[in-house]
Amino acid sequence: MQAKQCALKQGFINCHDCGYLVKITQQLSSCPRCRSHLHERKPHSLQRTCALLLSSFFLYIPANIFPIMTVTQFGTGDAHTIAGGIIELIDGGMIPIGLLVLVASILVPSSKLIGISLLLLSVYFRWKINARRWTFMYRVIAFIGRWSMLDIFMISILVDLVDFTGVQIIAGPAAIAFAAVVILTMFAAENFDPRLLWDKQ
Amino acid sequence: MNNTSYQACPECDLLIDLVQPEIGEKIHCPRCGLLLLRPRKQSIERTFALSIAGLILFVPANFLPMVGITLLGKANSGILMSGVISLFNENMWPVSIVVFLASILFPLLHISLSLLISGHLYFNRYNRNLVSWMRWMHHLDEWVMLEVYMLSIIVACVKLMSISPLILGWGLYAFITLIIITALLTSSLDKELFWQHIEQLSKDNKHAS
Repeated sequence: MQAKQCALKQGFINCHDCGYLVKITQQLSSCPRCRSHLHERKPHSLQRTCALLLSSFFLYIPANIFPIMTVTQFGTGDAHTIAGGIIELIDGGMIPIGLLVLVASILVPSSKLIGISLLLLSVYFRWKINARRWTFMYRVIAFIGRWSMLDIFMISILVDLVDFTGVQIIAGPAAIAFAAVVILTMFAAENFDPRLLWDKQ
Repeated sequence: MNNTSYQACPECDLLIDLVQPEIGEKIHCPRCGLLLLRPRKQSIERTFALSIAGLILFVPANFLPMVGITLLGKANSGILMSGVISLFNENMWPVSIVVFLASILFPLLHISLSLLISGHLYFNRYNRNLVSWMRWMHHLDEWVMLEVYMLSIIVACVKLMSISPLILGWGLYAFITLIIITALLTSSLDKELFWQHIEQLSKDNKHAS
């Protein structure tokens, strides 16, 4: 029953770019509607996702231990890490905003890293899973990724505005690592093919 | 080989025999629950109108000052581009390029592409690049981050409020309107309908020539 429902096993390929359903034939290699290359599943989905995920894991370490920005006041510099900035916000009584930054720059990236690893493991080891629930998890991961850019945009605003003789905000090396983590995990989520969750059942 | 009414779910590959939904109806995949089709009223007309509005608003949102602060008797105000330049001058060019792409170039490209496509469909003109434009727009979707930028403006304002009074400029209001317009634009753009129109146009064009 399951096998009959799958479009690929019935001899159809779904175009990745425009969603056109194409009957598999020998000579057809690109979509008749949008001319993009046809693939049964996203090409090398597991390998690419895994490579991107590993690089983001490594970059996640410098992103968290190095300062993301330095506030200089009359010669004395005060370096903030990602976590330090949040603690400062909460200490200053700005709890809702502090929680917002906590979610966007700590909870979202770390849960993305863990979530994508679980998705990869479940496909690779053919875990018995509730595919519907795991597809939903994939969808959540793909949706929340972009919101981590909040910290990066905020730095660009602060660096630009707080630029006086004596008082300055300077971006730190963690900003580059963190931006790379966000972008790499977005690519990882994009390269993962949720249909693999259904194929291996 | 009539497969026009069949569609496969892009996330679980279920083969579904679809009945063309009415306007206002939503069709979800019965197996994984993904929203498959959601036809909108006057999709082409609205997309066309909203992209023009968005493109016009893009100018004040980018060139008028958004937020300013005063410190030590000196005032400082910023626009989208000045943040990119400050980061670049601090040797943070990887970050500055990312900010430039996600908050300026990609939104601009996205609105321009949707104007080009919906304009061609509105006037029933065929262009052989329509297909490429549609594909670019599809891939850009995720990288337009105006609403994330808005949230960072709010957080930055809260952080700055403690050191100086804020001056909110016209650029900020234009930017907020631009975000509302892009959100409406995304929801009015019915991709399946657009693809069907483009397919029809290219068939007509082949017959004519």
